[in-house]
Amino acid sequence: MPLIDTPMLRALGRFLDVNAFRETLVASNMANIDTPGYRTRDVNFQAELARAAGWESSGGDAAPPVARTLDGLVARPDGNNVSAEREGLLLAETQLRFHLGTELVRAQFRQLATAINEGK
Amino acid sequence: MNLFGVLEISGAGMSAERFRAEVVTSNMANAETTRTAEGGPYRRRLVRFRSERIALFPLQLASFHSSLRAPSGSVRVDAIITDPAAPLRRYQPGHPDADTQGYVAYPAINPVEEMTDLLSAARAYEMNASAVQASKQMITQSIDILR
Repeated sequence: MPLIDTPMLRALGRFLDVNAFRETLVASNMANIDTPGYRTRDVNFQAELARAAGWESSGGDAAPPVARTLDGLVARPDGNNVSAEREGLLLAETQLRFHLGTELVRAQFRQLATAINEGK
Repeated sequence: MNLFGVLEISGAGMSAERFRAEVVTSNMANAETTRTAEGGPYRRRLVRFRSERIALFPLQLASFHSSLRAPSGSVRVDAIITDPAAPLRRYQPGHPDADTQGYVAYPAINPVEEMTDLLSAARAYEMNASAVQASKQMITQSIDILR
């Protein structure tokens, strides 16, 4: 039983989860840039958040984010299709989104602290 | 989600790339080696990487978010392959390793190829290092929530 459980904090938690998961995938794509036959993996960001919202409304627990291999990238002759540019951009994007998420969580708790301190 | 697992993956990537750089360097250092323990000239070596699935959340409680324990792709050095290319034969009759016709077998190593390989390993290493930086920053930001 969580002490403070608001829909906003739940949604933010999910947002951070998906971002952290994506960070993991970006890191493994980067680590495997020289692995023959490796295919780029990613999450469908919007779909994952939407799916979480659906679970939220039905009262169920959120399912884990799903990784999928990405097609449509240019593959090298050894079958590897990791693009350093794509991963670099995605790394920066994921980092910024995560920062946004943590700041929003902090804002939620600050609001709570304001209420506790009677607005002082 | 466990952000510390990301550090493990990037770390595996860094050590794999460093190992590759080591092998390339030893190829360059032995470009003119005509004697080895196995006999004959040095043979060029190549590394092969393999993606590996690791459990990312070994410390997480089983009941809590157990479904989030999705395996993810790390990397490791799978094998060191010896280049099957035939050695280069140079006519040097005075050389102690020359055969009866006066030819010496030298390793088939192209310095340009090795240099590009070394550069690519260094760049891939850098990329993994930047992923480590990003993860570190994300962990710091999570800790900042507590302030």
